[in-house]
Amino acid sequence: MMEPQNILTAYKNFPHLIQITWGTTAVLIIAIVILTINLKFWRAAKRKKEANQQKAQAKFESLILEYLYSQNDNPNYLSTKQLVIIDAFAHPIKVKWKRRIIVKILYNLLSEVSGEMSDIIKKFYFRTGLYKYALFKLKSKKWEVIGKGIEQLTRFKIIEAHQRVKPFLNHPRDEVRKEAHIYMVSLFGFEGLSFLNTIEEPMSEWAQIEILETLQEIESQEFCDIKLWLKSNNRSVVLFALKLAKIYNQFEVNETLMELLSHPDKDIRVQTIEVLTHLYGIEAKEMLKANFNDLSLEEQISFFKLLEKLVMPNDEPFVEKHLFHKNFEIQLLALKILKSINLDKFLHIKEDTEKSSNSDILEYVNNL
Amino acid sequence: MDTSTVNIILKILHYLFFGFAFLAILSYIVLSVISAKESIEYLKKNSFVNYKDILSSSMAPTITIIAPAYNESLNIVENVRSLLSNHYTKYNVIIVNDGSKDDSLEKLIEAYDLEKVDFIINQKIKTKPLRKGVFKSKNPAFEKLLVVDKENGGKADALNIGLNISKSKYVACIDVDCLLLEDALQKMIKPFLEQTEKRVIAAGGVIRIANSCKIQGGRLLDINLPKNLIVQSQILEYLRAFLLGRMAWSRLNGLLVISGAFGIFDKEIAIKVGGYDTNTVGEDMELIVRMRRYMEEQNEPYLVSYIPDPLCWTEAPDNYKTLISQRNRWTRGTIETLRKHRKIAFNKNYGAFGLLSYPYWLFFERLSPIIETIGLVYFGILLALQEVRWEYALSFLVLAYTFSVLFSLVAIYSEEFTFHQYKKKGNGFKLILLAALEPLILHPIILYAALKGNYDYYFNKTKKWGTMTRKGLATA
Repeated sequence: MMEPQNILTAYKNFPHLIQITWGTTAVLIIAIVILTINLKFWRAAKRKKEANQQKAQAKFESLILEYLYSQNDNPNYLSTKQLVIIDAFAHPIKVKWKRRIIVKILYNLLSEVSGEMSDIIKKFYFRTGLYKYALFKLKSKKWEVIGKGIEQLTRFKIIEAHQRVKPFLNHPRDEVRKEAHIYMVSLFGFEGLSFLNTIEEPMSEWAQIEILETLQEIESQEFCDIKLWLKSNNRSVVLFALKLAKIYNQFEVNETLMELLSHPDKDIRVQTIEVLTHLYGIEAKEMLKANFNDLSLEEQISFFKLLEKLVMPNDEPFVEKHLFHKNFEIQLLALKILKSINLDKFLHIKEDTEKSSNSDILEYVNNL
Repeated sequence: MDTSTVNIILKILHYLFFGFAFLAILSYIVLSVISAKESIEYLKKNSFVNYKDILSSSMAPTITIIAPAYNESLNIVENVRSLLSNHYTKYNVIIVNDGSKDDSLEKLIEAYDLEKVDFIINQKIKTKPLRKGVFKSKNPAFEKLLVVDKENGGKADALNIGLNISKSKYVACIDVDCLLLEDALQKMIKPFLEQTEKRVIAAGGVIRIANSCKIQGGRLLDINLPKNLIVQSQILEYLRAFLLGRMAWSRLNGLLVISGAFGIFDKEIAIKVGGYDTNTVGEDMELIVRMRRYMEEQNEPYLVSYIPDPLCWTEAPDNYKTLISQRNRWTRGTIETLRKHRKIAFNKNYGAFGLLSYPYWLFFERLSPIIETIGLVYFGILLALQEVRWEYALSFLVLAYTFSVLFSLVAIYSEEFTFHQYKKKGNGFKLILLAALEPLILHPIILYAALKGNYDYYFNKTKKWGTMTRKGLATA
């Protein structure tokens, strides 16, 4: 076998390229050895950590459940037992991973209970001082930590934090902004939507859905005026307001909706037609009918859906004109509408065109 | 030719091989770094996501799952049940029975109480005609299900009829034999809904290997490493490809392929570009390239997104014959797509798509096996002429091997730090051992399959899909 000294000498005699290659290989081999050993210990440590976490979770779960079922008849006061349990959490909440488990248990419980029980859980969160850690997260430089902090304050409805959350309503990260918006809506209902007056960044569809769902969870509330948002310069605010108008049947904004039919953004115009269809906006029908040829294809399809719902016998000539429109959807809707207002005429057309390329669609509509 | 000319040619060849290997290694390092960044960003973003709202919202978009089936009688009933048990509420399932010769349709009719319904299809994309028609269930429990029985036209044709029928804004195209986890749709739809500046035209997910995993009632109960070395090696290969490669390309918005096993598409764009190409065996890659090309030509900002969560599990080939057939098809698909869209190559009008993604695929996916083979042949010639300079050859060979082991280790680390699916004791050691063995077990086979794919593409034009004999996913 070659002596180490000889290997070194041989190495020194190699051309530079080979020296670099062997040198790199040596570095890679060292990296492989380190990573292999590290992976083994890391996996073992992770398994141990998971086992510890499971043990701690079981212990905390049983304590929290005990706390929940030790409630006095008077919900304003905590029982002695509950106070003892809260004291028992004083130390664990100082440890990050234990705190994470406790919050996770509380989240799970919150999603399973409601009413008085949910208030008792929130009281636990507050009395143990967990909220202070959530507030502390708001000071973090990491956006994801801030997001998690706001999420926690929202779930446990810590209204006292609203001044601290407010600055994040216009945070550059969409995720943080969304959490701040949800916090406001979750705690202040429609009043909390006032951020829509000033928001400059676009709201994603995902954020809009979350806010709408949060609003729907809130009981007894007074709806607010959405006209200002329907006229917003922020496209996403207009689209969001249109969703509000549809979900909350805002018949009083029909006039503003009519104005939106000539909005420069096509998506907004299409959505507006859909909302008007939902709100039986009969006044939109004549206007759209008159401008039909100037509409985009998507608007034309939406209009025919509106017409399907609001058709009157005097619309027959218009419908008849589009019976064999080049777009399949419009063709189908037009035939359905004609059948509903004038069956005889529909059957007559069906007989006339029995052998044409439209016979399939006619047959299909006939069988509906 | 005199000796000096030969020497110059040889020198050029040496530099070309060296340059190619250097660039390949460099690209892998860069992709690993980018993918690490992207994975961390993804985990941060998803550390406080609330999926509950999207499940209950009336404003959530509808998704149509399109699953083509051809002679899947063995598992079709179970597979459909799995597709019907997703947590997402606003979705429906279209099973396209693509002219199966077995009793798939009869089994579906019996299991789901199906009846033929009147149906009209808007032929936005031309497809083969219906055979027995369209079926819906009489049982309201299966109201999400629609079964279409059509004449055989291949997977692309079956997916196209699904695109024609779907009324949803988004379509999820999946292989019927894949196991889709219950939370797959809500996670996959998120990129489409959270983007405000760019239009997400497609999103792909990680495909994981389900051989040896325990599955019951369409649910994944237990994840195991299979004993079969070929399957094990593919697990490592998939980890590298999905957790390192695609994750990084997603960050660069340069993904050229979304696995045909599971992907969600913006239906409007998919239809505008004409749907799946029925004349290629790589229809999944071809559609993405065509959609990207369309968006670039329209000058519309867009994204092809990617989700690293293990959402879709599939059965991998467990023998060399099937594996070679599968990789042969993948190679032919890549060649067909790259040739068809060669206009994009090095074309600055297509931005990073033309200057980065396409060239990468051309050199490191399409040409890589050919260059490697030329290198091997050249080495063989030098060996025969006793002209091998062993001090160089050996050092390069050892370096290439150690780098490949290290790269696999990085993929294993990526898996451990993110989704940690192979939790069982001993799995870590097996994966490391595999990192050392895989270049010797799987790589030569893949190289052979790629060469065969090249041969078949140029000299055996009649070859189409090839067969994949499925054994079915293990049930508990």
